[in-house]
Amino acid sequence: MIERMTVHNLYIFDRNGSCLHYSEWNRKKQAGISKEEEFKLMYGMLFSIRSFISKMSPLDMKDGFLAFQTSRYKLHYYETPTGIKLVLNTDLGVPNCRDTLQQIYSTLYVEYIVRNPLCVLGESLQSDLFSSKLDSFIRALPFFSVRAA
Amino acid sequence: MADDVLFEFLHMEIVAHVYKEHATREDIDKERVTCVSTLELMGFRVGQGLIERFTKDCPTFKDDLDVMKFLCKDFWSTIFRKQIDNLRTNHQGTYVLQDNKFALLTQLSSGKQYLEEAPKYLAFSCGLIRGALSNLGLESVVTAEVSLMPSCKFQVVIQKL
Repeated sequence: MIERMTVHNLYIFDRNGSCLHYSEWNRKKQAGISKEEEFKLMYGMLFSIRSFISKMSPLDMKDGFLAFQTSRYKLHYYETPTGIKLVLNTDLGVPNCRDTLQQIYSTLYVEYIVRNPLCVLGESLQSDLFSSKLDSFIRALPFFSVRAA
Repeated sequence: MADDVLFEFLHMEIVAHVYKEHATREDIDKERVTCVSTLELMGFRVGQGLIERFTKDCPTFKDDLDVMKFLCKDFWSTIFRKQIDNLRTNHQGTYVLQDNKFALLTQLSSGKQYLEEAPKYLAFSCGLIRGALSNLGLESVVTAEVSLMPSCKFQVVIQKL
């Protein structure tokens, strides 16, 4: 059985909960609500899970919330020290993506958004350069295959 | 690595600050001209200082072309960590310096997006060139044009007295 791995979509939130960027590559089913509501739902869930985890952890917390998985997909999470939250939904074959998300932040967000004087921090990301670089980066990932499971 | 961005961030803020200062005027064109000349004058003074510093150990230049070559190679690489990619001249005082990956534009876009905003970020560098030339004894008029980011051209016209 050939293992097909793929990336479904990516969300980037700032520390206030505004969704700065959303892209999808292989999403078969939509949420059935408007994009705005979807972003609020996602952010709300992240906020709740983080607080839940830190309260209920039976041991001292190290990295905190990393990922959750269902029978069909896995959601990976990475939060930067500046409060930028990256969420990546992939299918189950993909191992821990923390490094990938960290790379997306440092080589794409910091390079093309923070260093772009015309991108206002806190507003949704308009830069075409960022979007195209992000797209090539995701497509080049070893676990991205165009034929989704 | 962090050193490169220090100047970039400062430059971004300078441009934003100059535009904010003049934003109260109603006339958009006049405001743009004022902002661009403010930035260019800043670059002029910086360019004058930088060229003194960079040429303190150099022998005198033979002619204008030599000066331009110095600008394209040593001056540009010390400031922007790369040389000018192409220098053209009509041998009558006009030079065109082409930089295919201008350091202050690479993060903005790699095509047409943000094209109207690009001149704001070139004004300071035009002043740099003009200041450098002025302190080497050459009065000039420097303009910049950009049609496809991050490549841009600086046109230098030497003023013969």
